[in-house]
This record gives sequence, C-alpha cells and structure tokens, in this order.
Amino acid sequence: MNPAKSYAHLFSPLGGEGGENYRAPGQLTFLRAPHVPLETAALKAHGARYAFVGVPFDEGNVGKPGSEDGPREFRIASQEYLSYWFEFGVDLNGLAVDCGDVPMPKVNPDSARERIYRAVTTVLKAGVTPIIVGGDRSISIQAARALSDHIGAGKKMGCLHFGAHLDLADSWAGEKLLSTCALARITELPNLASANVAHIGARNSMNPKDYIDLAKARDLRFYPMFEIYERGIDDVVREAVSKVWDGTDAQYLSFNFNVMDASAAPGVTATEPGGLESREMIRVADVIGERKTVSVIDVTELAPVYDVSGTTSRLAVCTVLRLMAAMARARGELVDQKIRRSDITAAQ
Amino acid sequence: MSKAGHHVWQHVPHQLRGPYQHTGADDHIYSPKLHNGTFKSQGIATFLGAPYCPPDRHAIREMGAKVCFIGVPWDQGQVVRTGTSQGAAGIREASTQYFPYMFEYDVDLLTFFNIVDCGDVPIIPGNNEKSHQYIYEYLTECLHGGAKVVLCGGDHSVPIPGARALSDFHKSGRIGYLHVDCHLDAAPDWAGNAFTNCSGPSRALDLPNCSAKNLVHMGSRNGLNPKDWHDFFVDNEVRLLPMYEVASRGVVECTKEIFTRAWDGTDGVYFSWDTDSIDSSCMPGTTAPECFGLKGREVIQLARTAGTFGADIMEVSELCPQFDVSHISIKTAVLMICHFLGSRAKTLRDLGQRLDQ
Repeated sequence: MNPAKSYAHLFSPLGGEGGENYRAPGQLTFLRAPHVPLETAALKAHGARYAFVGVPFDEGNVGKPGSEDGPREFRIASQEYLSYWFEFGVDLNGLAVDCGDVPMPKVNPDSARERIYRAVTTVLKAGVTPIIVGGDRSISIQAARALSDHIGAGKKMGCLHFGAHLDLADSWAGEKLLSTCALARITELPNLASANVAHIGARNSMNPKDYIDLAKARDLRFYPMFEIYERGIDDVVREAVSKVWDGTDAQYLSFNFNVMDASAAPGVTATEPGGLESREMIRVADVIGERKTVSVIDVTELAPVYDVSGTTSRLAVCTVLRLMAAMARARGELVDQKIRRSDITAAQ
Repeated sequence: MSKAGHHVWQHVPHQLRGPYQHTGADDHIYSPKLHNGTFKSQGIATFLGAPYCPPDRHAIREMGAKVCFIGVPWDQGQVVRTGTSQGAAGIREASTQYFPYMFEYDVDLLTFFNIVDCGDVPIIPGNNEKSHQYIYEYLTECLHGGAKVVLCGGDHSVPIPGARALSDFHKSGRIGYLHVDCHLDAAPDWAGNAFTNCSGPSRALDLPNCSAKNLVHMGSRNGLNPKDWHDFFVDNEVRLLPMYEVASRGVVECTKEIFTRAWDGTDGVYFSWDTDSIDSSCMPGTTAPECFGLKGREVIQLARTAGTFGADIMEVSELCPQFDVSHISIKTAVLMICHFLGSRAKTLRDLGQRLDQ
C-alpha cells in the first residue's frame, strides 16, 4: 500500500463526513473525472491517459436526428459506475479527464467540422487518447483526419469500425462529408492502407449497392453479421484486430452503436435488427483490450430521445469502461489485491 | 385438509359470480365460457387471481395454503434509483395476463399449491430498521403457517430480514443462501449503514446457522462492484459464479451447482433473485439495469432448474415498473415465479409427494 495514494474510492463509502451518496455528483463529468480545459499544455500537465470530449454535432446525419444529446446522456450513465472493475482487478480512477464538449456553432457545419478537427488534434498533441462521443457518425471523418495528420505521412495507421452500415457513399445528394460518407472519406487518408481497415457488423438494406461496389474497388475487408453468426464474435474480432493493430503506429477505433441489435440498443438514430448482443460486445472489449493501447476511441449515433430506461447509453459507457479496464489489465496496472477496506478505516 | 367452511381454500374469481355466473371447479384453467372471464375485468388485484389470506399463521394453515405470495413496497433501503416499491403491484398486474395452468409442467399452480396472496407488508417510510422488522414478522407468520413464500420486493435490502426470518424458523438446523444478482452486494456497510441493498450476502453470513459453504452468488458483472464487495467472497471463501462463467458454462449447469451447494446439509434455502441479473434488453424495468446479463430464455431455464431443487423463500426484487417498457419486465418477473413454481410442482408430483398431507 502506497501511503501517498488514496484508496478509499475502491470501496463502499466509509460514512461520516466522507459518507457521500455516489449518485449526488458535484460537476457532471465522465466517470466523475476532473474537468481539464481543452488545451494541450493543461492535458500534458495533468498526465491522464484518456480525455473525454463531447461532440454534440447532428448536422451530418441523413436520417433521424437526436444524436447531439449523446454526450450528455453518456456522462450521466457513466455516473452509475464506480472505478473498480473486479473482473479485471483494475482501478480506472485517474485514467481519464473530461474536457467538456466542443462548442458547436449551429447551422454552420464547415466551422463545426474544423472545431472537431482542432479539438482532437489538441488532445493528440498532449499524448493523450481522446474518447470522442458524438454526435453523428460524420464526426469520425474529422477525428480520423486529425489522427492521420498528427502521426504524419511517414507513419501508418489502422481503423476498426463497428456499425450496421458501411457508410461508403462517395457522395450523398452531392455532399461528401455526411455520416453516410464516413468510411469513404476515412479510407482516402494517405497513411491508411486498405489492409489495415476492418468493418464489423454490416447488415440489412441501408447499405446501397454503391457501398458494396466501393468496398470492392478499395479492397476493404468487412465482416457482415452473417459471418459473425457463423464464426462467432471472438474469431472475427481477433482477425479484424490483427489487421488494424499489426504493423501500424496508430489505431482509430470507432463504435457506431447501431452495430447492436435493436433490442440491446433502442436509443440510436437508426436501429437495426439482427445485430450484436450485449454479451458479444463485452467480448469485443475484452479482445481489443489485449492490445493495451489505442490512439482514438469514438462513440457515435447515440440518440437518447429514443432510448428506453437509459439502456443504450449505459451499454455504450459499459463498453468503453470495459475496454479501458481490459487495456489496463493488459498493461499490468493491477490493484494490489491485499488492500482491504479495513486498512482505510484504520488509517483514518 | 380439515373441515369444509368459508376459510378453506377456494378459488372463485368475483368476475365469475353475479348475473352471468359460472363457477365450475376448474373454470379458471379453461377459456372462459360466458364472457371474458378475469381478462380485463378486474377484481381484487392478487397474484394470479389467488384468494386473499391474512398474513396470519392460523389463517394460512386453515386455508391449507402451501405458497404465500407477499409484497414488500419498500425502496428506501437502497442506494440507487427509487421505484421498486411498485414491484409487487407490477407483478400482480402482469399476472392477470397469464393462466395458472402451465402446459410445460401440466399443472394448475393455483390448486396444486393452494396459492394465497397475503397482500403487502406495511412499511414505515424513512425507517429501514422498523420496516425490516415488519418484513421479518410477516414472513415468520407465513413460514409458521406451513407455506413456502414467494416474496416480491422491494429493494434488495429485503433479503436481510428475509434470511433472518428463515434462519430463526430453522433455528435448530442450518440454512443456505443464494444471491443471484448483477451486483455482489457484499459491503460490510455503506456509509455506516449495514442494512442497505448493498449487504445481502454479508448479513446472510452473519446469521448463526448459515455457513460460507452454503452461500453462493451468481451473475455478477460490470463496474458497480467496489473492491470490498469482491474481497468478501475471496476472504470468506464464498463461491462466486460471475456472469462470464455463467455465459461460458451455461445457465442450467451453473444453477444446478448453486442449488446443490445451498442445499448441502441444510434444512431450508433462501433464494434471492435480483431482476438486474437479467440483461437490460430483457429487463429494462429494474433499479439498476445492466448489459451482459441473463437473456430471456436463460431466465426461464434458471427458474425451471431452480424449481427442481426448491426453496423456502423465493424472492424477486428491484423490479421497477416505472422504467418498464411495453410491460416486458413485469411479465418476465411473473414468469420467473411461475416457471419456478411449475417446475417445483412437476418435481414434487414426479416424486409422488402430495402437499395437502
């Protein structure tokens, strides 16, 4: 036990003056993390591994609106969890800070896109992994471009995407930066080879023929749901993770939560039947977590207005936290199992 | 059964009386004859339309009831979101959408067990200690009335007085305690309070006749399980089957294991089943919904397997109808109970046991 460090947060509240109700937070932040201004110097000084950045941007969607409320609900749902994860034996406290939301100018998408790009760049320059919660799927275009520019032309990046739709429209009604164009734009980044791209979860008919044609033209490997039914989630994710992580210098990880079955995630902009079950998503987090680090995590298309009992935002939070926990375990950052609550009481 | 009289268990829903009366002995297990029966037309809201019986050991004995349903509208013993005080009402409401006959077991639950509904335990707002004492005393009446109990919470502090009642009922013997839950609930105390919904297993182990080998937890997952809760299982060598073990080994095998452990050398078992053990997609109407839980079909498999072993008190807790969606949670909760009872009835029948002797 390191006497300089506090361990009380690993345990049930001790009572007395410290007997706070865990559901009465002060500032509403991701996992009760401290708020740090979205500035490279401030992030560097803090030394956290992850920076949560909300992106309430809804002007890249072609279907149902509502994803701009995603970051707020994500933060609220994160309050329902504590920092200790017994399945992994790790403590997430101190790993993350919350940089608030990127301020969005309404009805000015060009300006908004540049702000998203700058926000992600600011976090990356501090050597911190951004956890970006949207917002619609088009924000991935800006965030991936920021990662690509940050590592530079001499380095290689990989991209792993989860979603029901391939988002491979070269253009949609003449527009090139909408959510339906996300993977089309990302796969044009100069330091991203098609061999290092994988898409998991495609199904149903919001995947028009030009998506499939572009996937073939660019030699993109996508793993549709039918393949997951047959091979099982572990096998598929392991193969996809190898494509994205092996031989690359940076990795972009993107979750559009419509990858989940409509029953497991009703609160997304475009629910789709036939998707992943929650226990499959838990395995996804475990398997990716074996790789120890990731450069950017994004979560998009949460639409709390359609959610049911907070199910979807909670699943999204759980997935991100389990990913953080699995990575912490893989890095060997384990809590000293000898620490007991009675040690804390005795120290007081 | 003793003499005939108006106290003897008898099932005639009030809707079958009156100008369009039809009161054949088994009317309640068939499609209605003259009108829509108990569907839509509400009588007194009881579990499965069972007769009401006062929570009194003599009344229960006199009616020959072998299963008492009792509700606990208590949600002030918990640290998460409120709403579970409406749980029992939700179950009673949803139970009107089912028949007491279950074809899977070829049994009429009502007449097999002479089920009675003993109403709700009265509780004292703001007073966890007194409310727990009332729960303890009402359960004690049911147990001494010769019945098994289906207890519907209420928050998950309910098993604390519940297991204490069972412990005292079997005070010359031993009891087992099962906690099926997303959360480990093994806090020594929560901010100084030792009797919240965070301490079921901890308080069970405090009981004089419940040992660690007869205490089992199943279904735990995710990050609302602080370290002291997990330490409890490690330090006391209590068997813990986290959700990832249930998912990989299968729910039937795991359920057999936990009931085998709980019944090993014991005279009675308390089976506490928190609805948040179930996946949030199948059970949105619970206090703390969590992903990566039991799926709908696994809930039925668990209840069915549990019924082959039985329990003195089966408790369903943390049901929150206000967060429910399309009534799927309250219907699932009814099926947790009905499959448990149906399977129990079939098991007893196969063993050649009769309950009214």
